[in-house]
Amino acid sequence: MQLDIDALDRDGALRETTAGVPRETRKDFLVATLGGGAALAALVLAEPGKAQSKADVAILNYALTLEYLQAAFYTEAERRKALRTRLARQTTRVLGSVERAHVSALRDALGAAAVKRPSFDFQGTTEDEDAFIKTAVAFEDLGTAAYKGQAHRLDSPQLLAAAVSIHSVEARHAAWIRYLAGALPASSALDEPKSMAETQRLVASTGFIVATPSTQSQEEPRFTG
Amino acid sequence: MVGLAGVVGLVLALGERGGTTTAAGHPTSLAEALPDDDPLGPPPRPGLAIPRPELLASGIDGVTLWAPVLRALTVRAAPSETARIVARVTATTPERTENIVLVMGPTHGSDRLWVPIRGSGTTGWVPREALGGYEAVDTRLLVDTNALTATLLRADEVVFRARIGVGTADAPTPTGSFYVRNRLTRYRSALYGPVAFGTSARSSLTDWPAGGFVGIHGTNRPDLLPGRVSHGCIRMRNADILELARLMPVGTPLEIT
Amino acid sequence: MTVATRTDTPASRARFLRLSLAGAGTLTVGAVLAGGVPRLGRSGTAQARDVEVLNYALLLGELQVAFYRQALRRAKLTGELREFAQVVGGHKREHVKVLRQALGASAREIPRFAFGTAVSSPKQFAATAIAIEELGVAAYNGQAANLSKPVLQVAASIVSVNARHAAWIRAIQDKKPASQPTDEAMTRREVLAEVDRTGFVRS
Repeated sequence: MQLDIDALDRDGALRETTAGVPRETRKDFLVATLGGGAALAALVLAEPGKAQSKADVAILNYALTLEYLQAAFYTEAERRKALRTRLARQTTRVLGSVERAHVSALRDALGAAAVKRPSFDFQGTTEDEDAFIKTAVAFEDLGTAAYKGQAHRLDSPQLLAAAVSIHSVEARHAAWIRYLAGALPASSALDEPKSMAETQRLVASTGFIVATPSTQSQEEPRFTG
Repeated sequence: MVGLAGVVGLVLALGERGGTTTAAGHPTSLAEALPDDDPLGPPPRPGLAIPRPELLASGIDGVTLWAPVLRALTVRAAPSETARIVARVTATTPERTENIVLVMGPTHGSDRLWVPIRGSGTTGWVPREALGGYEAVDTRLLVDTNALTATLLRADEVVFRARIGVGTADAPTPTGSFYVRNRLTRYRSALYGPVAFGTSARSSLTDWPAGGFVGIHGTNRPDLLPGRVSHGCIRMRNADILELARLMPVGTPLEIT
Repeated sequence: MTVATRTDTPASRARFLRLSLAGAGTLTVGAVLAGGVPRLGRSGTAQARDVEVLNYALLLGELQVAFYRQALRRAKLTGELREFAQVVGGHKREHVKVLRQALGASAREIPRFAFGTAVSSPKQFAATAIAIEELGVAAYNGQAANLSKPVLQVAASIVSVNARHAAWIRAIQDKKPASQPTDEAMTRREVLAEVDRTGFVRS
């Protein structure tokens, strides 16, 4: 069977993999590792930190901003100790830990290209249980819809695999927090995606992302000395 | 891994392999029916390395929240519009940075939220909407005016220590609970070294212009350190203040003993 | 992300939260079908793979439809579990509709299913539901890279609902709906082997 490497080598990783293999053994290497065309996908290694396409960087940064938002929200809610029920507190602890892990992963993948963490003002929604639950439901539904809107646009199959896997976790979170809220965890048979523009508009409408407080200056110190 | 095999075990243990009473049939093997040359390949290994989720450290007491003040406001003795006014807090500091306060406990109220805060020389309650977003720090600065040391703790671990200069007997450094509220750089005066921090601590020199706040800063007289040499400020060698600036964010609580 | 000024936030935020809690994401099956579930059936590698995956999804979908139908008949479900089975069963039927619409004449024949003791009691039902829903999520996630982009979008609308279903039944059973930061992806062979082990599929 004649294999068309280019057709199968979606992001050039296969060429990188075989590049170090001496020419005369390369054919054997390929034949031995191939069980079928798509098995080549198994050879494409996940390399966090590897260069991403510009489009993928933009999508990852968009995801990172949403994860920053969610992580900060749950972390603050936990710190404010405003949640009355044990179930709400437990859920917040777990959701916070998972969103912080997502933040970590995206920052690692993006490296120097990662957007900085914005400043947030949650305006009391982390300090009152009812407001918290409503806001959490909105965030998780939005996060699910946002990932759904972008995952298919990723150039890298490895990033697609990662996005798809986070997307279903966000959907679980959405169902979980809806269950806590006494709402139907799944209210319709099909979930809608949201575009980047719509998501950004919704986030902006909350007013939660604010300018970083200016606590530095170059003024002369007005101290007693 | 999916626990379907476990469920299957449970199902099979109950003695029936499935099948309705009307039509037995025999189990079909779907996996065996797949072609060897399976066009559906395995999924790519995910391109994000996700770390194990970590819960917040249980020592949440090591974390302090602060918030910027959005407007000049009154601090009240209790979480109510009608409670006694204990102090006023300005929106900006003398160095023209946004003034900040420390958050001292859980928020009170449901309709109208009130937050217990520490400002300059005061604690009390302010309305939530008068504050901006919360920021968290996990550092604490301990200044000992007897031992003449400044020690920075992060999550209760010592990460910095330096010998310091403090106020003279006539202009002593105040003791008590305060916090760092701004960071200043690239100013002209060499008296303060390369970087300086403003605090919420007030000197007892009440006639000092701009309120008489005490700062933490470098010095052009390191030969005087350690010692009781200032008008209340906490001085350290320039190398030390630079190191401290690397480690200590604005909002860090300051305990002076 | 733009930074909002404070003056315009309370009302717009309230609207955002109201919409979300009401169930934004009410994409009806009709809307999906009208808007363009891609019709497959032409030749071409991408289409052929899409057909393979969608038929595989159809098999799992029909298994789920049958499971919930048989459970509602036989498992003596009440309360929360009954509501779950009714709502989720309805969703699964919609999923199958979408998949069949996409496949058109390329839809393959589905075997019959029988669930025996797996639907003989509420406890059995719940344990089986958890496993079946988890398997469904892992199955879809395992196929994302095999789908052409338009079909992937449709699959994504289905898989997140399946993930909600998985979290839901876990919550009902007092299990953590999600404690991992990522979900598993399984190959078709692995998933079908698991299905084989259940004995639910009758020829």
